[in-house]
Amino acid sequence: MKVITTKGVVKIYNPDKIPVKALDGVDLEIKEGEFTAIVGPSGSGKTTLLNVIGGLDRPDEGDVEVGGHDIDAMSDNKLIDFRKEHIGFVFQAYNLIPVLTARENVEFVMLLQNRPKKERRERAEELLRAVGLEDKMDKRPSELSGGQQQRVAVARALAPKPDFILADEPTANLDSKSTANLLDIMARLNEEEKITFIFSTHDQRVIDRARRVVTLVDGKVATDEVRG
Amino acid sequence: MIPIMAWRNIWRSKTRSLVVIGAISVGIWAALSLTGFATGMMKSYVNNAVQNIVSHIQVHQPEFLDEYEVKYNIPDALAVEQAIRAEPGIKAVSVRSVAGGMVSSSQGARGVRIKGVIPEEEARVNALDENVVEGEYLSDKGRNPILVSGDLAQKLNVKVRSKVVLNFQDRGGSITAAAFRIVGIFDTGNNPFDLSHVFVRRSDLNNLLIPATDSSLTADALTHEIAIMVEDIRNVDTIANKLGAEFPGLKVQTYREISPDLELYEGQIKNVSLIYLTVILLALVFGIINTMLMAVLERIKELGMLMAIGMNKLRVFSMIVLESILLGLVAIPVGLFLGYITIDYVGKNGIDMSIYAQSLENYGMSPIIYFELDPGVYLQVAVGVFLTAVLASIYPALKAIRLKPVEALRTI
Ligand SMILES: Nc1ncnc2c1ncn2[C@@H]1O[C@H](COP(=O)(O)OP(=O)(O)OP(=O)(O)O)[C@@H](O)[C@H]1O
Ligand SMILES: [Mg+2]
Repeated sequence: MKVITTKGVVKIYNPDKIPVKALDGVDLEIKEGEFTAIVGPSGSGKTTLLNVIGGLDRPDEGDVEVGGHDIDAMSDNKLIDFRKEHIGFVFQAYNLIPVLTARENVEFVMLLQNRPKKERRERAEELLRAVGLEDKMDKRPSELSGGQQQRVAVARALAPKPDFILADEPTANLDSKSTANLLDIMARLNEEEKITFIFSTHDQRVIDRARRVVTLVDGKVATDEVRG
Repeated sequence: MIPIMAWRNIWRSKTRSLVVIGAISVGIWAALSLTGFATGMMKSYVNNAVQNIVSHIQVHQPEFLDEYEVKYNIPDALAVEQAIRAEPGIKAVSVRSVAGGMVSSSQGARGVRIKGVIPEEEARVNALDENVVEGEYLSDKGRNPILVSGDLAQKLNVKVRSKVVLNFQDRGGSITAAAFRIVGIFDTGNNPFDLSHVFVRRSDLNNLLIPATDSSLTADALTHEIAIMVEDIRNVDTIANKLGAEFPGLKVQTYREISPDLELYEGQIKNVSLIYLTVILLALVFGIINTMLMAVLERIKELGMLMAIGMNKLRVFSMIVLESILLGLVAIPVGLFLGYITIDYVGKNGIDMSIYAQSLENYGMSPIIYFELDPGVYLQVAVGVFLTAVLASIYPALKAIRLKPVEALRTI
């Protein structure tokens, strides 16, 4: 089943001054259960593509369909609700709410969904166990390492049972050990729980773990390689 | 969880939050203390005026009040007086005869109202005896004794034992003059009153007011004014209404009706406290806006992330408003407590304003002010500060929800 379809997506920054075509006609289909890396040189449009797919930014041309919904037609507030229900985000940094503990961070989106307290708690603990942080549940982000913070972010992104998870350079700030660890967790969740992951990266070790690699060059899809 | 977040957020910048909480508390304290001070002054003025001058209730023949003509005395005064004294809840009664006239010495003359009083009764109603600062109070001894105020004595250049002459019309309309000897100097603390009143014995005044040819009235039956003190000031209106019903032909007035300035002053206090409060709240608004704006601006990335993961605008808005409210809710009890102990302390011990006493006395106030506060003001201040906190957070909260998640996340 397709979870994301983009058709001829164009995104232009600074249309009035010096226009930058960050995306220049991107056609892409992502199916359920994929473990896909978006790669390409700096400035090639990876972040822009993830933002457009994630409903954080609107394309100037083309269509974006997410889970059968035309997200372009949604109002800003509707889009916030849509993201809350359908998309999990892992950013490069500033993922977590600093005043909340790991457990509270994971519960947070479920709280926004008005899930009952007991369910929130149980799911948060289950997810934190899944990312190997059962002993850090009551720690605040400042008390966690970068890798641990990104694992909490993955658990947080999974909490609302989204259609897929978008991760923009999730390992950019991590050392190689934490990178490997985070990738292990993501790959396992992908295999065992059929969670769809789409992540951008510069890191060859991360690219090597992907099962599909989409390469962007100058805002266009240059290669799209599916590995066995 | 959002209230918990809001609460923890305000403690992220401890110093900044403590400063704004301190400012709000001090503002509340100042609003309460200033209002307490103004109320204390007002009460002091009203009490002085009531106790020394107007008394709680006065009874007159209605026409007397128009021109203060001596022919408009209270009919059947003895019976009326008896009936009033029999009324429950009444502490003291003084019957007076009153004439408008002139007091003169060799050095000058002034228009005054001459009050003929029964000394012991007058002392019980308005403590005139205690206000005698020099010489003696009126008594049965001697011929034609008179009390004048220090202020008037100075104007006339007279002192105790000096002679003054009173001129006034008697009930027949002829001008009468009589010499009086000053036995004492009084000072009520209210200059305008002191300058325009002199006190003599009622029997002396009445003998002069009733012409020899007039046999319709005896000296002890000529009364223009009955001044009444009640036991409990809160019953003034009830008792006045009752007397009014009992004597439909007479004008019964409470101190508020006699001295509308007192009522005005009492009423003004509410406005005064509102003005203090408004000024202080206006200052606080800017402090809170500034604090909350800083709190929003230094969290742009985080707010962008929150909106990216699904926190909608209403919730972000509420969180910012709630943070401001929480700052207020911490500050309000502190400020109320500081205000309360200040008002309680100065309410019991008073604050000595002697340095300004001269000007205060000109307005009929005592030099020691005891703070006093209507309990409703605490609520008024608390609600005012609460609303201010809400109001002041609206602009920062709008700023927060106008952020676009992508741009906010990209901000360095
Ligand atoms: N807000 C913006 N205003 C103007 N230009 C922008 C903006 N955001 C991105 N761009 C430009 O759009 C192009 C694509 O940027 P994007 O961030 O998507 O690249 P990227 O592949 O994620 O790069 P990196 O690997 O460095 O993260 C770049 O040329 C960038 O300079
Ligand atoms: Mg990027």
